Amino acid sequence: MKSTGTSPPSQADPSQLDAAWSYEAYPGFHDEVLGAGKVRPHWMALTEALTSMGHAGLAKRWQQGQRMIHDNGITYNVYGDPLTTARPWPLDPIPLVMEQTEWKNIEAAIIQRAMLFNAVLKDLYGPQELLRENRLPPELVFPNPAFLRPCWGIEPAGGTYLHMYSADLARSPDGQWWVLSDRTQTPSGAGYALENRLVTTRVLPDVFQSAHVRRLANFFQAYRDALQRLVPAQRENPRIVLLTPGPYNETYFEHAFLARYLGYTLVEGGDLTVRDCRVFLKTLGGLLPVDVIVRRQDEQFCDPLELRGDSMLGVPGLVQAVRMGNVSIANALGSGLAESPAYAAFLPGLCKHLLDEDLKLPTVATWWCGQEEPLKYVLDHLDTLVLKPTFPGARIEPIFGARLSGEEKKAVLDKVRAHPDRYVAQEQVALSTVPVWEDSRIGPRHLVLRVYAVPSENSYVVMPGGLTRISNSLDNMVVSMQSGGGSKDTWVLGDAPAPPFTLLRPATHPLEVSRATFDLPSRVADNLFWLGRYTDRMESLVRLTRAILARFQEGDAARTAGLNAGLEILAELGHLPERETPVTPEREVLAMIYDPAAANGIVSGIHRVRRVAWLLRDRISVDAWLILNQLDQQFSLAAPAEAFRVSAAQDRLNQVIITLSAFSGIVMESMTRGDGWRFLDIGRRLERATQMTDMLRHGLQTESPALGVLEAILEIADSSITYRSRYLTSLQTDLVLDLLLADEANPRSVAFQLARLKEHVDQLPNSQISIRRPQEARQALALLTAVQLADVRELGRTEDAAAAAARDALLDRLAADLSTLSETISRAYFTHAAQSRQLAAP
Amino acid sequence: MKLLTTHITRYWYSDPVSLCHTEVYLMPRARKIQTVLDHELTIVPAPETMYPREDYFGNPVTFFSIYERHRELIITSRGLVELAPAPPPNLDLSPPWEEVREEAARRTSPDSFDASQFLYESPHIKIGGALAEYAAKSFAPGRHFLDGVNDLSSRIYKDFKYDPRATTVTTPVNEVLVSKRGVCQDFAHLMIACLRSLKLPARYVSGYVRTGHKFVGGDASHAWVSAWCPMFGWQDFDPTNNVMPQDGHVTLAWGRDYSDVSPVKGVALGGGEQVISVSVDVSAQGLDSAV
Repeated sequence: MKSTGTSPPSQADPSQLDAAWSYEAYPGFHDEVLGAGKVRPHWMALTEALTSMGHAGLAKRWQQGQRMIHDNGITYNVYGDPLTTARPWPLDPIPLVMEQTEWKNIEAAIIQRAMLFNAVLKDLYGPQELLRENRLPPELVFPNPAFLRPCWGIEPAGGTYLHMYSADLARSPDGQWWVLSDRTQTPSGAGYALENRLVTTRVLPDVFQSAHVRRLANFFQAYRDALQRLVPAQRENPRIVLLTPGPYNETYFEHAFLARYLGYTLVEGGDLTVRDCRVFLKTLGGLLPVDVIVRRQDEQFCDPLELRGDSMLGVPGLVQAVRMGNVSIANALGSGLAESPAYAAFLPGLCKHLLDEDLKLPTVATWWCGQEEPLKYVLDHLDTLVLKPTFPGARIEPIFGARLSGEEKKAVLDKVRAHPDRYVAQEQVALSTVPVWEDSRIGPRHLVLRVYAVPSENSYVVMPGGLTRISNSLDNMVVSMQSGGGSKDTWVLGDAPAPPFTLLRPATHPLEVSRATFDLPSRVADNLFWLGRYTDRMESLVRLTRAILARFQEGDAARTAGLNAGLEILAELGHLPERETPVTPEREVLAMIYDPAAANGIVSGIHRVRRVAWLLRDRISVDAWLILNQLDQQFSLAAPAEAFRVSAAQDRLNQVIITLSAFSGIVMESMTRGDGWRFLDIGRRLERATQMTDMLRHGLQTESPALGVLEAILEIADSSITYRSRYLTSLQTDLVLDLLLADEANPRSVAFQLARLKEHVDQLPNSQISIRRPQEARQALALLTAVQLADVRELGRTEDAAAAAARDALLDRLAADLSTLSETISRAYFTHAAQSRQLAAP
Repeated sequence: MKLLTTHITRYWYSDPVSLCHTEVYLMPRARKIQTVLDHELTIVPAPETMYPREDYFGNPVTFFSIYERHRELIITSRGLVELAPAPPPNLDLSPPWEEVREEAARRTSPDSFDASQFLYESPHIKIGGALAEYAAKSFAPGRHFLDGVNDLSSRIYKDFKYDPRATTVTTPVNEVLVSKRGVCQDFAHLMIACLRSLKLPARYVSGYVRTGHKFVGGDASHAWVSAWCPMFGWQDFDPTNNVMPQDGHVTLAWGRDYSDVSPVKGVALGGGEQVISVSVDVSAQGLDSAV
């Protein structure tokens, strides 16, 4: 039976989710949907909709959601392998629904905790009264690697350390919410929560509307306002950047997504430099001052001079810039100090002392073993506890007492006795359950809810929603993305329909109209340049391979000559492996197309395109990204059966050409003509000129190229039609040479590329600021002139050894000069990559 | 006693350095027994920015940046200090070491609270195990604390061989304990680790020792140990020379270990290979030089 959201509800009782879905709560745990076998009232709207759409309806809607996740490239990284790390973001279509009154309590409690941790940090990085009065054991601060002494005494703007605070919440069987852990350093997941919302509202738009779900955009606006308030003094056009450790970080996707959503430049440590105790962004146009750094990099790695010196990820001199009040960092450097799970044991007292309030939401029972009584309790009750390191970052995994064998337990207890202050024990909460869609049915899974708060003028604002994470099985109480868990959107219900509002068109802060595009980080220009080169290299290779494949099937002499020339070019360019015992050319070429392990094959080329595109995740439009994803998908399919390989390969290659053309189209049509676009196009032009030169070099080696060779070369160069429409004669070497080398009107010719290259290079910052032509401009001009001055009639003369030698010499020189030009441009604009290093210790 | 100190640190680079941020702990620190009469820091090439400040432990520290391309960096620090050493304390009047441990753990006074910061592991200091065993031999039950510390210092002096080629700045104390070789910095770290293993507060002192045949380490920067004792305050011990510093030691800074007060710390952009040379000269000045 087909049912959609608009069809009448089925006959099933809406308070009984099990009628259509046979969902049953898992005994012994609190179930979010079912209470005493009945659907809780605030879930009713959603369960009714689910009941009426049925399995098939949800499955159909969910297909769209999954496509959105794929198309938007929503991923997270699993540490380890750089290529296959990016996994699609695991989202479940059924949101977690939170009832209003209960949410108000959570909201108040989270605001209180954010204020509390802020006050604690303010004291620890100042007078340290809490330690002197023994309200917090100094053992939790002085030996803590997260206590950053260089940051002591630096008061952040407005006294605010936490510009984003988050907490993991869980619900025990009696329905009570508990805080499992607090995140004060660089809380992650708010961006994923937003992505989850975008996808889920696409899947369940009707229910979302009718259930009056509260919107998230106001929260992000509040975050932006809070960051705006950090701008030192009243600076016009302040620059705010988001600092990421880079594309291999677990949540890099989120960094790129948030940077784009909030309208900030995404930077890595190497993009920033400190001069005169101010922070600057290194761009093609020079150094641009930075006022606020939204930090997603761990604080200890932010300044190799004053903080940890064993990594060069950070920005040398950053702490001094902060100290001088010239830049603000959110969250403030040092805020990770409050992340020790041991603090939980002292929070009630701290809350009473600092805020004169009782703690509104309890932390799960916590014992810090550095004190006698708690230690005794932990030693006696290890079976029911989870043991964690006191200081996060210590390489100790949580230990679950219940899972230890007798011997293991003894070893653990010995360790705790030896260094009790290094361990914290927490009670294990029996996490509540929520329905999860899996294999066309729904079943219960455990959940942990991560909630977020950002500062308002004098208090904090809580995101009406959050990131719900679910365990991968009912037996597993550890909820983690790294270990295969999933996530959900979180719906907090409101009274009335929420007014639509999105940051993508901010109403309160109209953006300044600005055409300046000079803030392109040099690193990004570098990556765009290579994206241009790699995509065009793919296109050339695919055209060449396609021409070869077409010639395997027929046998006349001309076709065979073309085939041999093609194979020759392919081998010269290093795409065919050198083998001791040669296999048939057909097999070689097919391996190059299908085998992901072929070193210079098509699959590895596509991976290379995608990898460099991945480094540009925040720069490439969603549409362009979508196209690159399709490309990757076309080649992730397994090779077909032997008999169909040649024809299937032709189909695939045709697809790739179309996809690459679409990518070029998007870039040409929708990318702003700034320096970013310019470097992408420089890369493409350089590559195309190089590929064309190489093809002519290796294809026209003989004194009198056969007709079949010329025909193949024209086909590979996508210029057969142009040739035929222009010259109604048979193929002539000189005419082919003219069309592909010297004809500036043919968009495939070397001359065309060189003319574009010269235009681009003349527009680059170096050419703009100096009266003297910079080196790259002179090289581009020399290349273009060399081609313009070439006498193609002379060079194309057949049966003439001298002409063939002159042809070879010219093409060889062009190839060498193109390579030099590429190096010159890299040196002039991408040398930001110079390594910082520690001075040797005296 | 007035001492004139001259400390020159030179860096040569195989490739030019285009940008360099540096932090130096080179200015002598004022303390009860040491008055800083004069200090001058000269840097070539001249830094564009230079900011002196006080660090977390109250040490004077200077941050400077150079944006001029350079292949050589010369940091010259000249200081004139006056030392007024107190007569050496009667070690046998110090309390039993167990009482020191309890006082540091209780932190009932501002002094003991400050001292308690120096009880824990720090980047160069690991505690426990063999270090505790080595230390225990100097701390029989009831032994006067300072007498025990002095004994530990003497034992390190006797058991360990001064050998500049045996270690680097990153050699862990546990290795030094096994190899029984090292330089002043290793011996200071080792002694601190021993004391902290027994939960006794100890800190690292960076400075200079008077040049001459009497002391080891006079031609480079020096390091020794300070131990905290109620009523007696911080008392210095130099295990490299087996003395309690009197009028031959100039204090620059103190911290948990070397990492807090490294005399020169910097990050340079570019530079290639680097060669470093350090020279230190400490000599008596004026009439007092007869001593």
